Amino acid sequence: MSNHLEGSRNSCALHGALQLFEAIEGVIPVIHSTSGCGVQHYLGVTRLSGGNDPFSSPPVSSSNIAEKHVVFGGGSRLREQLKNTVKVVQGDLYAIVTGCSTEMVGDDIPAMAREGREQEWPVVYANTPGFSGDVHHGYHLALKALIEQLPGIWKRKGEFQTRLVNVWGIIPNQDPFWRGNLQELGRLLEGIGLVPNLLLGSEQGIAAWTQIPEAALNLVLSHWGKLPAGLLEQRYGTPSIILEGAPVGSAAVPLLRRLTEQLKLDQIRSEEFITREESLLNHQFARLADSYYRAGFQREFVLVGESAQVTGIGEFLGKSFGLLPRMLIITDNPPDNVQEALADRLSSIVSGYDTEVIFSEDRAEITDIIKTSDVQLILASSLEREVAVELDVPFLALSFPLDDRIVLDRGYAGYRGATALLEDIGSSILAFSNDRLFC
Amino acid sequence: MSPLRAKAPRSREKRLDTLGAWLGLVSAASTEFAGDDIAQRIRTFAQSSNDDLLYALRILAGIRDSVTIIHGPRGCAAAGLYHIAAGSNTRWVVTNLDERDTIMGADRKLRKSVVALYRRYHPAVVFIVGNPVIAINNDDIQSVVEELHEELELPIVPVYVTGFSSQNAVSGYDTALHSLLKYLSGNSATALKNERINLLAVAEHPQDRKEAQELLKQLGIELNVIPDDSTIDQFRLAVSARASIPLSPDAPEYLGAILDKKYGVPLINVLRPVGVEGTGRWLKSIATFLGNEEAAEELHEIKSAETALQLGDFSLKGIKTYISLSSANAFSVLDLLEELGGEVAGLTITHLDRLHVRHLNELALRNPSLQIHVSDGQAFEEISILRKLAPDLYLGDATHLGQVARLGIPVVSLESLAIVGYSGVVRLARRIKTALANSSYGLSLAKVNSPYQDAWFRRSHNWHIKQEVK
Repeated sequence: MSNHLEGSRNSCALHGALQLFEAIEGVIPVIHSTSGCGVQHYLGVTRLSGGNDPFSSPPVSSSNIAEKHVVFGGGSRLREQLKNTVKVVQGDLYAIVTGCSTEMVGDDIPAMAREGREQEWPVVYANTPGFSGDVHHGYHLALKALIEQLPGIWKRKGEFQTRLVNVWGIIPNQDPFWRGNLQELGRLLEGIGLVPNLLLGSEQGIAAWTQIPEAALNLVLSHWGKLPAGLLEQRYGTPSIILEGAPVGSAAVPLLRRLTEQLKLDQIRSEEFITREESLLNHQFARLADSYYRAGFQREFVLVGESAQVTGIGEFLGKSFGLLPRMLIITDNPPDNVQEALADRLSSIVSGYDTEVIFSEDRAEITDIIKTSDVQLILASSLEREVAVELDVPFLALSFPLDDRIVLDRGYAGYRGATALLEDIGSSILAFSNDRLFC
Repeated sequence: MSPLRAKAPRSREKRLDTLGAWLGLVSAASTEFAGDDIAQRIRTFAQSSNDDLLYALRILAGIRDSVTIIHGPRGCAAAGLYHIAAGSNTRWVVTNLDERDTIMGADRKLRKSVVALYRRYHPAVVFIVGNPVIAINNDDIQSVVEELHEELELPIVPVYVTGFSSQNAVSGYDTALHSLLKYLSGNSATALKNERINLLAVAEHPQDRKEAQELLKQLGIELNVIPDDSTIDQFRLAVSARASIPLSPDAPEYLGAILDKKYGVPLINVLRPVGVEGTGRWLKSIATFLGNEEAAEELHEIKSAETALQLGDFSLKGIKTYISLSSANAFSVLDLLEELGGEVAGLTITHLDRLHVRHLNELALRNPSLQIHVSDGQAFEEISILRKLAPDLYLGDATHLGQVARLGIPVVSLESLAIVGYSGVVRLARRIKTALANSSYGLSLAKVNSPYQDAWFRRSHNWHIKQEVK
């Protein structure tokens, strides 16, 4: 039996599926649920993720079922809504997602999607009741729907593309920096001669999704990307490289070398690319040295976020930037075996220094833990601002939910992400020290 | 029988013939509401809109020293994060029901949560909020409330919203207010009346509330503000107050009516204090009740002179504005825009019902061809209407303003702009002036495509609004 959650930051399966579908250009989610589900998604997820919202509004189609549909079934209402969505809203693909109410009533969603297909409408469906799990589960349900159902709509000849790499595991909006992170990963792959299939974000539409089977490799950037990669391995035999988080800074080197080797790329080109990127990053480090020592950047910190973020950012700050990870609090609730592996890996980022690795998605519990940590820097979500103010330490909001940042293309992955992270952490420490100098 | 005996009040549709979908001229609306039989409308295509759960949460967000438990699946508490960001006082908790809970029931889980949260926070009150899952499942919240209320000596207030039993989110205000009165106000007024006046403020902008408080204070009136930013003791106090004055005739309507009917606290029936004249009328209504008209008149004269000075030569002459707001707000902003010399191109309001009849009748005489569109969140209809009307300015508080701006129309958001009172007039005028002075951002937005099919724009705006077949 699961426990109650305070200030839950992992919302529900319906919202996770919406986040994925909304991040693909031309995909129109059709919500079959009560009217408030889409508004909850907008207020509690989209708005708190830096302003990444594709339609400038809540989702654009929702059946808004009424009492009579709960009593007599809502199938006919969905039929009507789907038919009219195709007529009113421009889209390349319509994706039916369901809420708790219509699942409890037992509406036959596959039948409705099939009817739509018989009309030659491009329709997929995913059963996504909120009670079935959180956003990560919803991300999985939506991916599974696309991987399994798209080949039934668009049959591609599917010539194998030796340089094409599918990128999985970055969850739109649950990682507020998803656009920037994906773009940077794409830049790194291009730098060594690969063709990234980013699948989400600007200019990523159905064309990207229909070429998935043709890829040479799946690059998995979080635990949550393992499921789609596994499905593709089963269906098309596509091999995968699996990381627990997108690499930040020099952590990209082993990845780039492994890709070069595995896909038999031009080694000289890859090494030249790596050398250039490394040299640029080292110059960034050198340029902020004065501020670093003057304002005492080197301090013990706590980092709160999804496992992928905590792994990437935590290791970069510990291994390259001289900070001490006192506590890493992982909020995305990965399965037990993954938790063990993460705890093992992250508890000794800095040799000779113990890092506590904690798994929690409860705001009250996280707040209590931070209070006991005696840290001098808090990198977390906006929910932790309250405790940062109480402890009077510098604070940077970088995980979901974010209520006071605009994020358009900023990212914290790769080399450019490392630079952005140095800028943002440095700025928050300086602003904090300046405030205390002058007041 | 006490009106508070039921678990929840009747929906707005049943009490006030509330419509959530309608399009037509104000004269037609006035005629329709003159009759007895008002047919409900439904949509054959719809977009996400607020529900009673979301509106109930807006009220609970403002109760001090409280814990709000949404007894449901995780996503029903998503809006809690939004309220935390907006500075809400309450602790937001979800019982996180899983599939098994939806079959077997989860009152044990709820009981455990209440006890744990009581021990951690010792709050003044715990709210337990319903949702679609609990409503379909019929989970036994009531027995948890009764048992733990005795055991912990803690007020526990169940709020039976469902997400589907009313098609108008505003019913959620009524449901929350019903429970607050039922569980916190006692069965009857105390024998000893207090001298206070209840200021009924429901989900108002904090600055709007403060502006109203400030004005009444200048008339020497001692206030008891409920439910926004109130303690639970204030609900007890409210039933023995001298009178109630609402900050809006709509959102707190149920609260005012029950205080009047059940507890004998007279309700001053007055429109929203928006605009110079509207604010003056509001102040005079309470002053008349208290026999203090001269002071209100004097205050109004001073404040209106100040406001006129601050407005300078600002005028909306020649500017046609489209208004899209919650109903009471829309009608009062309409008056304000006319006061500033402007014209109103059309209205979208969240709901229309018997509470708005006097506006309809008055507008039907003054401007019978004004178009009224009733919709909450139906951006596709609004965009279609706006393309046709091409107003010079758009005032709204919905979450789809970005879509409107893509039409190249200057937009002013009232979602977080306080417009009550004399200072509200000045604040709004400044925002409008700024919006009209530079439309460069809107012109950039206009280069981004609309999400809608061209074929939709060739249909009539109300193509998807149909009379409900019973």
